[in-house]
Amino acid sequence: MKGAALRIEHLNKVYADGTAALRDVTFDVKPGEFLIIIGLSGSGKSTLMRCINRLIEPTSGKIYLDDVEITALSHSELRKIRRHIGMIFQQFNLVKRSSVLTNVLSGRLGYVPSTWSLMNYFPRGEMDRAMANLARVGITEKARTRADQLSGGQQQRVGIARALMQEPRLMLADEPVASLDPATSHSVLKYVEELNKKDGVTVFCALHFLSLARRYGTRILALKAGQIVFDGLPAEIDEHRFKAIYGEEAVEVEIR
Amino acid sequence: MRNEAVPAPRPLPAPRAWYQSVRFLAFLVILIVIYAYGWRVTQIDIPALGSGTQFVKPFVRDLVRPDVLSRDTQTQEVLVGMSIDPAVPPDEVRAAAGGPQVAVSTRVAPVGSKVAVTGTGFQPDANGDLFWLSAIGNPAHVGAFRTDAQGRFTATITVPELFRGPEAGAEGLRQRLRVRVTWPVGALKLSNTLLIVLDKVVETVFLALMGTTIAVVVAVPLSFLGARNLMTRNPIGTSIYYLTRSFFNIMRSIEPLILAIVFTVWVGLGPFAGTLALALHSVAALGKLYSEQIESIDPGPIEAITATGATALQVVRYGVVPQIVPPFISFTIYRWDTNVRMSTVIGFVGGGGIGFILQQYINLLQYRQAATAVWAIAIVVAAMDYFSAKVREKVV
Repeated sequence: MKGAALRIEHLNKVYADGTAALRDVTFDVKPGEFLIIIGLSGSGKSTLMRCINRLIEPTSGKIYLDDVEITALSHSELRKIRRHIGMIFQQFNLVKRSSVLTNVLSGRLGYVPSTWSLMNYFPRGEMDRAMANLARVGITEKARTRADQLSGGQQQRVGIARALMQEPRLMLADEPVASLDPATSHSVLKYVEELNKKDGVTVFCALHFLSLARRYGTRILALKAGQIVFDGLPAEIDEHRFKAIYGEEAVEVEIR
Repeated sequence: MRNEAVPAPRPLPAPRAWYQSVRFLAFLVILIVIYAYGWRVTQIDIPALGSGTQFVKPFVRDLVRPDVLSRDTQTQEVLVGMSIDPAVPPDEVRAAAGGPQVAVSTRVAPVGSKVAVTGTGFQPDANGDLFWLSAIGNPAHVGAFRTDAQGRFTATITVPELFRGPEAGAEGLRQRLRVRVTWPVGALKLSNTLLIVLDKVVETVFLALMGTTIAVVVAVPLSFLGARNLMTRNPIGTSIYYLTRSFFNIMRSIEPLILAIVFTVWVGLGPFAGTLALALHSVAALGKLYSEQIESIDPGPIEAITATGATALQVVRYGVVPQIVPPFISFTIYRWDTNVRMSTVIGFVGGGGIGFILQQYINLLQYRQAATAVWAIAIVVAAMDYFSAKVREKVV
């Protein structure tokens, strides 16, 4: 697995109700970067992430993964490119009534033959791959457990294992630790960091806590009302910049 | 040290006594009026509970000894010709030689007189009954006895007044005495009633099963039309949604018992009418539950699985199906369980099932047989309840 480069040009998104969620967003992500995006709730972070794999259709602008223009792809081509873009979510988005193993295997649906998978059959090799990925996030013993029996941290690790099944080259993480406690947040982000450092997967991650952003990110992007207001190194965000991003009233909260 | 700056807390105003509240009093009066009227309208008659015990006693007594097991019986019968008028000689009907014999104190006995009856050669230690037969053979029970160890008995009867026939001639005055001794033989076996009841229990369970199955087949597609999150995206969808929901609500409010009456008129008496009644009611009940389940689906997993590059079918299979199928199964089994309970009464209006024979037994005052049916219903309903709870626990 190698990390992919991501390029976004003049991206705009206006919702049906007239809300402009993204305004002329342009930036580059180099392969292997750990890019963190910060900003208030409603600043457009989630919209931006979902435009990249087109869970949300952008209104205008172009998105390139390496040299493939995602925004110009047909439906079936889009499915092929989605296989390379892993995604984890704030609410984990596991199928609660299914087993952990089924949830992990569902990350492989883009690769396996459709008919077999509809009958819940996965080749031996895919089962092994799922167990290997569960081992990687340290929860092999939970493979047969129902997903909703797991703690929040464990569920997010299942989410990571599911994304790993895709052999991603880009990992989108939409506030992956926002519903976890500080200790669990670190353990989850460490798995993401390992993915970035060891496998070289490009990571694009939305976070709420600057302390976490500084600790894990190689670069930080800040969104405010759909526009990029900061793009630079973690160390460059000082008190003044912080207030510019979060507003005058904001006080930085630390999480270690 | 006390802080003088803090003022002493002001005493709270004394609460008004409850009877001072006029509104509360008015409310109380209205409540009393409502219940007084309700008492009259429903004709509550507590003494009836006491005076009625004699009528309900046989039913309750038989409830604890349902007709479940029985033995074959053998009988011995002897007829004796009698006359109730000295002017008319009795028939020469006598017991067959070699069998049990019956002797009477007199063979000419007017109505109201007493006759001593003795018998010999009967089955020892068995119960017997004495019947007075009119000229056309209508029996009146006039006495009971138990034979001794030698097969003998003595009894005294009073000659009853019976219908003497269309032309009250000499024929009407020639009457008979029947002596019958009955005793059980062979081992205990399942009674005939129990076999009939079991047959009807099977019919009841399948009546519910078929009704539920038909309902599922119809309700599953309808429930998607009744799901707000899927349908209210355009005006046509919205009107279909409201139509479907109204259908569910109206049909659900009609008791299956009433539907069964309609269907017995339509397709005739029998289990098919009951099946249709349960099916129609269940379509509405299940449709509503299914629709609500579809509405409460979590979009998160759908989004996540779409993001992996899965096809639309795969998204439905892995993101939607696991969210709706287990609750659908759970609702369906619960419905089947409910339908078994309902199908026991649907027979009362001719919709088939065990209710039909239960009603017959009650009308014929065959309380022991009725008890068999009541127990069967109780056992089946309880078993279904337990079974469905277990399965639902596993599924959801």
